[in-house]
Amino acid sequence: MSAPGYTNLNTSVNYSLNATQNGGSAPPYQNGPAQSYPSTYPASGYGAPPQHYPSSTGHCVPASSKTPIMNNDYANYYSQHQPLLPPAAGAVTAPSSYGVPQGSLPPSQPYNTANPPASGAPLYPAAYQHPYTMPSAYYGQQYPVSQAQSQQPNLMAVSSGTNNGAPLYPIVSYPSAPGSSQYGTLRSSQAPMGPGPVSGPNVIVPPGQATGQSMSMGNGPIPPSSATPAHQGYGTATLCQQSATVNGQTNALQTQTMPHYDQNLHGHMTYSYGGVPPTTQGPDGDRPLSGTPATSVHSSPGHQPGLPYRYVTNSGVSSAPVAATTPAGQSSSSSEDEDDEDEDEEAGADSSSSTTGSASPVPNSYESLEGGSYTDPASIPPPGDLSRQAPFGYSYPAMQPNYIQTAPRSNPAPSATGYHAPGYQDMSQPFPSMSQLSAALGGLSAPELTVDSLRPVNLLQERNILPPTPTAPPEPNLSTDLKNVNCSPDTFRCTLTNIPQTQALLNKARLPLGLLLHPFRDLSQLPVITSNTIVRCRSCRTYINPFVSFLDQRRWKCNLCYRVNDVPDEFMYNPVTRSYGEPHKRPEILNSTVEFIASSDYMLRPPQPAAYLFVLDVSHNAVEGGYLNVFCQSLLENLDKLPGDTRSRVGFLTFDSTIHFYNLQEGLSQPQMLVVSDIDDVFIPTADSLLVNLKESKELVKDLLNALPSMFTHTQETHSALGPALQAAYKLMSPTGGRVSVFQTQLPTLGAGTLQSREDPNQRSSTKGVKHLGPATDFYKKLALDCSGQQIAVDLFLLSSQYSDLASLACVSKYSAGSIFYYPTFHHVHNPAQRDKFQKDLQRYLTRKIGFEAVMRIRCTKGLSIHTFHGNFFVRSTDLLSLANVNPDSGFAVQMSIEESLADTSLACFQAALLYTSSKGKRRIRVHTLCLPVVSQLSDVFAGADVQAITCLLANMAIDRSISSSLTDARDALLNAVVDSLAAYRANGSNLQPAGLIAPASLQLFPLYVLALLKQKALRTGTSTRLDDRVFNMCDFKSQPLWHVMRMVHPDLYRIDSLSEQRALRLNDTVVPQPPRLQLTAEKLTRDGAFLMDCGNVLYLWVGKCCSEMFIQDVLGCPNYASIPPNMTQIPELENPDSEQLRTFLSWLQETRSFCPALYVVKDEASAKSGFFQHLVEDRTESAFSYYEFLLHIQQQMTK
Amino acid sequence: MVLLTMIVRVADGLPLAASMQEDEQSGRDLQPYQTQAKQLYRKLNSESPSRCTLEAGAMNFHYAIEKGVCYLALCEAGFPRKLAFAYLEDLETEFSEQYGRKVPVVSRPYSFIEFDTYIQKTKKSYIDSRARRNLTSINTELHDVQRIMVANIEEVLQRGEALSALDSKASNLSSLSKKYRSDAKYLNTRSTYAKVAVGAVFLITLIVYVRFWWL
Repeated sequence: MSAPGYTNLNTSVNYSLNATQNGGSAPPYQNGPAQSYPSTYPASGYGAPPQHYPSSTGHCVPASSKTPIMNNDYANYYSQHQPLLPPAAGAVTAPSSYGVPQGSLPPSQPYNTANPPASGAPLYPAAYQHPYTMPSAYYGQQYPVSQAQSQQPNLMAVSSGTNNGAPLYPIVSYPSAPGSSQYGTLRSSQAPMGPGPVSGPNVIVPPGQATGQSMSMGNGPIPPSSATPAHQGYGTATLCQQSATVNGQTNALQTQTMPHYDQNLHGHMTYSYGGVPPTTQGPDGDRPLSGTPATSVHSSPGHQPGLPYRYVTNSGVSSAPVAATTPAGQSSSSSEDEDDEDEDEEAGADSSSSTTGSASPVPNSYESLEGGSYTDPASIPPPGDLSRQAPFGYSYPAMQPNYIQTAPRSNPAPSATGYHAPGYQDMSQPFPSMSQLSAALGGLSAPELTVDSLRPVNLLQERNILPPTPTAPPEPNLSTDLKNVNCSPDTFRCTLTNIPQTQALLNKARLPLGLLLHPFRDLSQLPVITSNTIVRCRSCRTYINPFVSFLDQRRWKCNLCYRVNDVPDEFMYNPVTRSYGEPHKRPEILNSTVEFIASSDYMLRPPQPAAYLFVLDVSHNAVEGGYLNVFCQSLLENLDKLPGDTRSRVGFLTFDSTIHFYNLQEGLSQPQMLVVSDIDDVFIPTADSLLVNLKESKELVKDLLNALPSMFTHTQETHSALGPALQAAYKLMSPTGGRVSVFQTQLPTLGAGTLQSREDPNQRSSTKGVKHLGPATDFYKKLALDCSGQQIAVDLFLLSSQYSDLASLACVSKYSAGSIFYYPTFHHVHNPAQRDKFQKDLQRYLTRKIGFEAVMRIRCTKGLSIHTFHGNFFVRSTDLLSLANVNPDSGFAVQMSIEESLADTSLACFQAALLYTSSKGKRRIRVHTLCLPVVSQLSDVFAGADVQAITCLLANMAIDRSISSSLTDARDALLNAVVDSLAAYRANGSNLQPAGLIAPASLQLFPLYVLALLKQKALRTGTSTRLDDRVFNMCDFKSQPLWHVMRMVHPDLYRIDSLSEQRALRLNDTVVPQPPRLQLTAEKLTRDGAFLMDCGNVLYLWVGKCCSEMFIQDVLGCPNYASIPPNMTQIPELENPDSEQLRTFLSWLQETRSFCPALYVVKDEASAKSGFFQHLVEDRTESAFSYYEFLLHIQQQMTK
Repeated sequence: MVLLTMIVRVADGLPLAASMQEDEQSGRDLQPYQTQAKQLYRKLNSESPSRCTLEAGAMNFHYAIEKGVCYLALCEAGFPRKLAFAYLEDLETEFSEQYGRKVPVVSRPYSFIEFDTYIQKTKKSYIDSRARRNLTSINTELHDVQRIMVANIEEVLQRGEALSALDSKASNLSSLSKKYRSDAKYLNTRSTYAKVAVGAVFLITLIVYVRFWWL
């Protein structure tokens, strides 16, 4: 079947469905609910075109569609459905009209009037007439009869029968053969029903039943026979309620059917939310999950203090919020399944109240879900309400999103008038009314935020643009409820939080469009869902998420491709509230970050065990540096904390000019070393005792680690056969896959993958292009691709003081999704700071969570397309990222373009799904969904620019550019990015005075960040930079998450010698001082102060010459400035308030990052401070602009 | 040599444990066999023979069903069947002791993947020719191994398909016959109507004729 036709069919079905419940107002419904509102909703109430309504497009089934409308429904149903369903209708009517004498059933009055003969007669015959060649008049008569008979059920058929039918419909009848053949097929599906009289409800249901048969295979509750109990139940329920409201019916239904489902469900499925599988999980493995799931589930709109509640009362819905907090006992130790039982039972009481208590649960709770109260005039609050609330909300400061989020907010709708304050109007002349409306919907914070982020800033005049507190990412301009469920900006960020409608608009703004992801981040709360069927869109395979729209109880519309899918029966059951028929309250719908336990369909092979292989350089150079001791000690300490279960495997391999394997087979008295000297053709000496079960061979492993450092102390071997060692590692690991950690200390000089020194030290500070940024050989890349194919990731630790051609070596990690660590001047004695850092990094590295055999796919709304990926992985098919390993510290970036106009949608969504095997052998899928508004005005695009995300994406692009083209090109491109976007802004805001360098407030930091980028090791010229340092910096940019990159680019500088409790953060019982951030310029440093610079991985504590002795004594523990040791790397723990305050602050800074930063105490003396001063990016250096010069340069470029 | 071992719940084909195949060393691609195994345990039900050997080209599938759990091993055709079943029996004993009670309640695939460790160890002892001597005793225990059914995997897999094909054909037939019946009925009705109509026309004509011309 042809795809377009297929989708068409469905959308139109969808239409009429809406029509049914909406009272037929629906034609433009399809592409966003927004447009359909004008007709029901006079715009006057909101003072703006309804375009933005859409947030709830499909969801808003008005509660008001009562009986009179139902008649319309028939008309709609038939006029719209019949062309689609001719065979079904024909087939079905035949028996009933024959079987029933004409006269016996009085045609129902309402029906006839509502249903114009035109729709009945011509349509039916069209399908029917041909095979039988009957006079149409005959059918004309017959038709109403059958209708009358089935009048009530009809409605139900629309909502349940066709629902079911929709997705499978094409399969049954789409291959639209002439009526007769269709007829045959349909009959066959009906046949099993038996010869009994075809009753009313069945008349329309058949498509549903036909599909029901094939659909319900996997669904416990519904027996596969076509006379499904569920449907029957529906039918009867509807039948006995003469002319009840739609909602009432469904409600009744739910209560009726619920017990039935409960029974069935018990046997078949187990749910574990937040599924903390307590006993089986070690302390570290799933640590993030240990929060009770319930709490995260409950961060749903329903629980936000003010707003939703008001909606609820206003619209007269009493749908009780899901109050069933899952007991804390859930995380207690018992098996998963038992837990679930408990959960079910305890939630039971609530479920009954929430279902029965609500007058019309279905549509209204959708409403509350999506935050729209607009469907029903009755829901507009009384004027008194309005006057009281508007000023209240208006006075809220808009810039502190956190605050706003939790603060009770006024009802946005009534306060819309408040927005038309003159100032606002002036500011946003070109403002689309759309955003006003959405602002009205989204709460007061939105417009002010937007306005504020558009405030023009003259960069040449305003010097203090750096906010004293860390900059929060801009908040998308969405309705509150969407905002509340949206993905955390730490995980998922877009460079433009307002997505431009067209590529042309994007081009006008001259800003890059892309996403920054940190998908496997350590999370403290994560709902874990176990269910038999993971609900996904049938055409684009999107996972169901909070931003889909439920057309009714049985169908949902994909928010990425707009396909209408049906809701599987299992999904109708909500295990949290233990109620049936609330698909919108499932955790998938309430959380934008969820994790599914995958079924065996998601496995190509049995889940692999955690396997770790350590490949250690033991040449003379390595032994001299002394890393081996540190490594062995760290591993010994963390051996029990390695993520894994009883299957975990571990192996060791050392190399110099030969390769040494270690037989650790259980039962040996001591480890056996096997030496393979044939490095040209590496083979594995014994098959299965080199990679051994950690649990069983633990003693041998410990023996080996204790012996290893001393085994090579007197080695004279200087060569390094890294290539062959990697080949051996590949062969050893390929049956299982896993992680290979390579420790290398020099250039590989033997065997495959030999490298030469390519760096010319005299060129280190050249301002001309830098050469050798790319790999010298493709050996490492090829090896990495082989590894990736066998699910092996190679992590590289380079501990080398000389040039080691990281540009080539890094490929082995880049393409196998590994990570790269670099310790440029490592020595266990001479450089204790590096040693400590290495030790701490190892600790984190060994114990952090790990996912094996992972793949990630990023999907986005139809019209957007992803074209470039940044990060460490291999792109397997066009958009599938193959990640042999995934770790919680790696970030990814993608660039996007807009292929088709997004004009017909108001929301763009992005979904990243990461499928991985946990270290416990569980296959899991972690899904993140981000939702952003689409805008049509350039000013909105600028208002939504996320300058940090833009900077990170630009950095990634610049690094690609510098490798593929040249460093100079990359630097020019960065400069042009600023110039172009500021020029675009100036061209747009024509009402602004042209003097000065004007940037919107949202982009005011952009020139500063770009300047900082240009001064990074990766991209700087003119300053002496070792090639390996540069390349490592580039690798970091490509693979680190956003917050880390931003700290590298623009470190935070604090003055810490006079910490006060002013504005301090209070956490539990500790008070964390919050000194203001300072600009990165030497101007801010004073001789009598002490300053802390936070560069992510490194902390510098700069102590001025005239710093008060009090501080030096109290905090640093030295009598005076002169006695501070030159390489101090720790703050002593002293018992006085100053020291304690500083240490709380430091530990607070470290809390949020995974790798412990190294601390250097820097004195104001020439020798040590270059490392510190290179981060003062606003200052002039011998080869680079100061910030002010840079601004002037930009201005000059703009006028050109 | 045992290449692949799987333990599956018969009721719904949910894999409970499996041993990683070592396809790299043997240089064979086991993917098609894995697919066949998957198809196989979809076909299995409580009525399947509890022990069976299925030939699949150069390989043999051996399976044993005990207490609702199917133990399946893929071996080279040359691998002695006695040994294979002794191996499966060994697994069965250990598995049902360790996890037997949990089998009906689990829902996650490969819930007992940690059993892999035991599988591998057992496998090793059965493959190792030196250890085989210790297993001579099984000769006596497994005298009934001769009676184990041997069939071809293709046949087994296709039998189901054939049945479902037959089923669909039958239902087609029945629906067609139903259609024929209703058509026939309909035609009958029509012809009856036609006859009646003809009769009526004739009568009316007659009456009219009688009324106007005769009188």
